Amino acid sequence: MKRYALMIDHESCWGCKTCEVACKQENHSPYGIKLISVLEDGPKIVNGKLDFVFQVNTCRHCDDPPCVDVCQEGAINKREDGMVVMDYEKCTGCESCIEACIYNAITFDSDRGVAQKCNLCHHRVDRGLIPACADNVCLAHCIYFGEPDEVQKMIKNRKEIRQNGQIP
Amino acid sequence: MKEFIYSNVEKEMEVYGYDSVVKSHCRMCHGGCGVLVYTKDGRVVKIAGDPDCPINHGTLCSKGMASHQLAYHPDRLTYPMKRAGAKGSGKWERISWDEALDTIAERILSYKESYGAESIVMGYGTGRDNEAVIYRFANLLGSPNVLTAGHFCYGPRIATSIITCGTNPIVDYENHPKCIMVWGNNLVISNPDCYKGEPFSVSLDKGAKLIAVDPRLTRIAARAHIWLQLRPGTDTALALGMLNVIVNEELYDREFVENYVYGWEPFVKRVSEYPLDRVEEITWVPKHKIVEAARMFATTRPAAIQWGVAIEQQVTCADNNRALLALMGITGNIDVPGGQVLFKTPGIRNVGYFGAHRMLPDGQSSKRLGGDRFRLAGNFAIINPKCVWDAILEEKPYPVKMLFFISSNPVMTRGNAREVYRALEKVDFMAVSDFFLTPTAELADIVLPAATWLEMDYIGDFWKRHGYILPRRKVIQVGECRSDHEMLNDLAHRVGQGEHWWDDFEGALDYILEPMGITWQDFKKMDYIRGEVRYEKYKENGFSTPSRKFELYSSLLEKWGYDPLPQYREPPESPYSTPELYKEYPYILITGMRSPGFFHTENRQIPWLRELHEDPIVEIHPETAKKEGLREGDWVVMESPRGKIRQRAKIFEGMDPRIIAAQHAWWFPEKKDPGHGWDESNVNILTDNAYEACDPAMGATHVRTLLCKIYPENGEGDS
Repeated sequence: MKRYALMIDHESCWGCKTCEVACKQENHSPYGIKLISVLEDGPKIVNGKLDFVFQVNTCRHCDDPPCVDVCQEGAINKREDGMVVMDYEKCTGCESCIEACIYNAITFDSDRGVAQKCNLCHHRVDRGLIPACADNVCLAHCIYFGEPDEVQKMIKNRKEIRQNGQIP
Repeated sequence: MKEFIYSNVEKEMEVYGYDSVVKSHCRMCHGGCGVLVYTKDGRVVKIAGDPDCPINHGTLCSKGMASHQLAYHPDRLTYPMKRAGAKGSGKWERISWDEALDTIAERILSYKESYGAESIVMGYGTGRDNEAVIYRFANLLGSPNVLTAGHFCYGPRIATSIITCGTNPIVDYENHPKCIMVWGNNLVISNPDCYKGEPFSVSLDKGAKLIAVDPRLTRIAARAHIWLQLRPGTDTALALGMLNVIVNEELYDREFVENYVYGWEPFVKRVSEYPLDRVEEITWVPKHKIVEAARMFATTRPAAIQWGVAIEQQVTCADNNRALLALMGITGNIDVPGGQVLFKTPGIRNVGYFGAHRMLPDGQSSKRLGGDRFRLAGNFAIINPKCVWDAILEEKPYPVKMLFFISSNPVMTRGNAREVYRALEKVDFMAVSDFFLTPTAELADIVLPAATWLEMDYIGDFWKRHGYILPRRKVIQVGECRSDHEMLNDLAHRVGQGEHWWDDFEGALDYILEPMGITWQDFKKMDYIRGEVRYEKYKENGFSTPSRKFELYSSLLEKWGYDPLPQYREPPESPYSTPELYKEYPYILITGMRSPGFFHTENRQIPWLRELHEDPIVEIHPETAKKEGLREGDWVVMESPRGKIRQRAKIFEGMDPRIIAAQHAWWFPEKKDPGHGWDESNVNILTDNAYEACDPAMGATHVRTLLCKIYPENGEGDS
């Protein structure tokens, strides 16, 4: 079984928030509910120098997801391909998953009375399409979707070229 | 592994059962990205970047994706209306297009008869690709007065680069500069004309060195190898300091300087007046950093300067641009691959020709408002806004009786907003074409419902200088909305200009394309057309300037009575130019930080975009916040000698504690009274527009740097 993950090269992120709107366009989450969000980290002094980065926050689709364990209804499942998917039909809105998530990546949708999280656009992936936020929308090309080891290798290579100035 | 393909159009169509996908060209900023518009049941349901487009390579920003929330917005104007109560009372009555255009035509003809065509001022803001058609209408009418953002946005880049080297040098990201100096620009969030963030980002990924010049720590500045954190408004001094290093250390391109520049000796003399001790004192940038940046820029080739609007909204507008042009020129980076290229547009009837500038009747151009004062601007058919407000309020030098704003919201975007508001209240007749009843439109006598980019056929990027044109294809019709182009084509027939116009606007598109031997119907089938790409063209024919050289010393500025070389001038309000005022207003306020999703005054009613930022934000250094008793999220009052406004505090360590950074163009469409909160958080309530505070050549209003005081808003309402 292939494994899939969404990975973000935070060093490259410019904070343009396009991924937030790409997600809205696909998943139509209500106003105020963000399944992916771009957070500012800094400015702050790091190693004697002012630094300022963006952190893109979304479900990490953890290897051992605490949200799955706490859900009494069995509404959240870890699939064999690695995706952690919430079934909104089963969710009763008890919010225990929200408390269990250490990444603050699950939100309560008070309109529908359910918890909302990134399901990695499984409805797209299962039909051969890339998740909306990772589908070539990002101007920094910093959102990757694919096999985790391969993606990590790509991010590392890109960082090396960026830092060493190897222009082909 | 399943093979995933980026931007997989066929699969999208199959999976979602869309009815069609139309390739088009977005205009949610000053234009530029190729897009795919998916429809279902006759409605736009998804917008994505076009992977085949050479401008954006399939990527797209939040604004582009949210375009259908604009097109289908419930508050949109979808039919013409006339005022049905007092001006600004918010009372409107639906009328037909015929009644609207006949009324406007009647007014135009009557003012022209009684007061001359110059009493009618046409206007646009940033321009929704309607610039050329508006100029065409005004010129044929005989009015030399088209009021745009051109005095302090893009117009200066065009005017100064034309007088220096014939056209605007565009960064050649396709060939990856090895050093990029981003000067007062945040192109990964904003939309500097002719550029998109994606190619810039890719060049950095290829290893380009990065220098950032900015008073604030943007993410670009944080990623830069060198960040020059200058005092706001001192750009010319900093650039002259860098030029001083490059000249004295002989880091310039000797061959280019010896053969292709004009005025080298006086130029060297001028830069020697800016020794680094003096420049450090003016700019607050340490000498060693200026030297380091100058060396990196001059010795890493090809190198390029990514510039934008921030340096133009200053009293030194033209000289800021001219000093940066000098940096591009003497380092040998003009018209070389990976440097800054003088791209050729495709061989169509260009924007200047179509704009019919040569058809303005004799004797009318000398009546251009402010043309004798702001002579660089005047020669490029650009006027300063205060000249129009004065002509309305004081009827000097002659009365302006009618305003026709087409995509413009000047009560939000022009300096000294209260004066703008008074002028709009007083003017005899005003028509506005726009998407919504904006605070400006609310003061009109007639409003017209303008089409968005999804609702028109047009030649996208017609006016740009990056060498491409791209078809914008109509996808939908909303209500009775009409493109500004169709509207003016119709109106032109009603005021007797018919012989210079067409049965419908497709005729104009054919006319523009005709020299290439194609029609709109042919072009519509193409992805894009690119002009011929050649480098170092100046080696054959020289530059398109009076001396045929790259004019460090501008013979045209000299002819028009200006200093032909760049010089530093202190901002009109600063700790040094107005020390007394500084005691009462002890902070330097900068006013233009950009936020994703918004485009100046636009998009605050679009749910996906307003969700990105609910409130106007002012950034305050933690030390300053502590001193003034402000916490994150508090409403802060900012006050200048012109007035006061409020925005929410964001504690931000990435700038000098003496600086406050506010956002611009905030109004509140959700407030349903006719003012829509136009003066609550509008930074132009604070800015000055006095003629002395404008660039003497370009008439740019100095809105980016002023003095202010800040304090917590009293009473309830905090947090």
